[in-house]
Amino acid sequence: MKNEKQPLLLGNREFHSRLILGTGKFSDTKTMIQAIEASGTELVTVALRRFNPDKPDDDLCTPLAELKGVQLMPNTSGAMNAAEAVRAAQLGRELSGSSFVKVEIHPNPHHLMPDPIETYAAAKELAADGFTVLPYIPADPVLAKKLEDAGCAAVMPLGAAIGSGGGLSTADMIKLIIRDSTIPVIVDAGLRAPSEAARAMEMGCDAVLVNSAVAAAANPAGMAQAFALGVETGFAARQAGLMPKSDIAVASSPLTSFLN
Amino acid sequence: MKLQVNGKEHEHTGDGTVAALVHEVGATPEHTALTVNGSVIPSAEWTQAKLNDGDQVEILTFVGGG
Repeated sequence: MKNEKQPLLLGNREFHSRLILGTGKFSDTKTMIQAIEASGTELVTVALRRFNPDKPDDDLCTPLAELKGVQLMPNTSGAMNAAEAVRAAQLGRELSGSSFVKVEIHPNPHHLMPDPIETYAAAKELAADGFTVLPYIPADPVLAKKLEDAGCAAVMPLGAAIGSGGGLSTADMIKLIIRDSTIPVIVDAGLRAPSEAARAMEMGCDAVLVNSAVAAAANPAGMAQAFALGVETGFAARQAGLMPKSDIAVASSPLTSFLN
Repeated sequence: MKLQVNGKEHEHTGDGTVAALVHEVGATPEHTALTVNGSVIPSAEWTQAKLNDGDQVEILTFVGGG
């Protein structure tokens, strides 16, 4: 089931899949491509690294270019501050030929938590320069609103630490972000199971970004498909309208006039 | 001329343009982006952009990332 009537708008492009896939950690390029195809995603992240003449196969440009209808979104991983992230974004734009950039600045290798101050500075500068900016952020509703005002195309709060599989540990904060946001809210990082993706969509998220959960699965293509189903299920459930919660039982069968 | 390419010393024997250096290291031009002394040089300028002795060049490409 596709949500044809409600595409996700990021910048000036519409996406019919609400699953975004990272391309890191896959055992090999073929496995990665199979996972991308199985996920149905139209948006994948890539990273910039030094060209290595001894490992020309590391280059992802050729296999990714063969995927039809898939938008590349370079990230700024490795950047320690706003200036480095801006430079990485400019290099990424050179290579991808598009304005999409995932701003991520996480200088501490132990927890990889995004630096909110440097992230804000980079995102503001890049948005003013015409980039379609999707910043990876702590689940902070104040920061999210400021990034919206700075011209970001979406905000991407973390569910848990990168690669941890900790799930939607920030759910309450993400709900606050969703409540006030007029731009898409995308959960990025920390998810492990498709049920968590479904829950994020039921909560009101506009999309979900996963990488490790798919790349580190026993069967990455199978898990990519499962996440696609999770995202679609959660979105469809939200569109259908969840029933109200009650603290007490509400009978679903008549309780009166039995054998009277 | 002596350059620093991706953090290593590199003896450039070509015509001193960025385009010649990219060719020399074996990178595929359309899969490559680079900076010279920290400034991004757009690929359209590579055939004109001259390198100088001691320049620090970073040659980058896409790899997997989340």
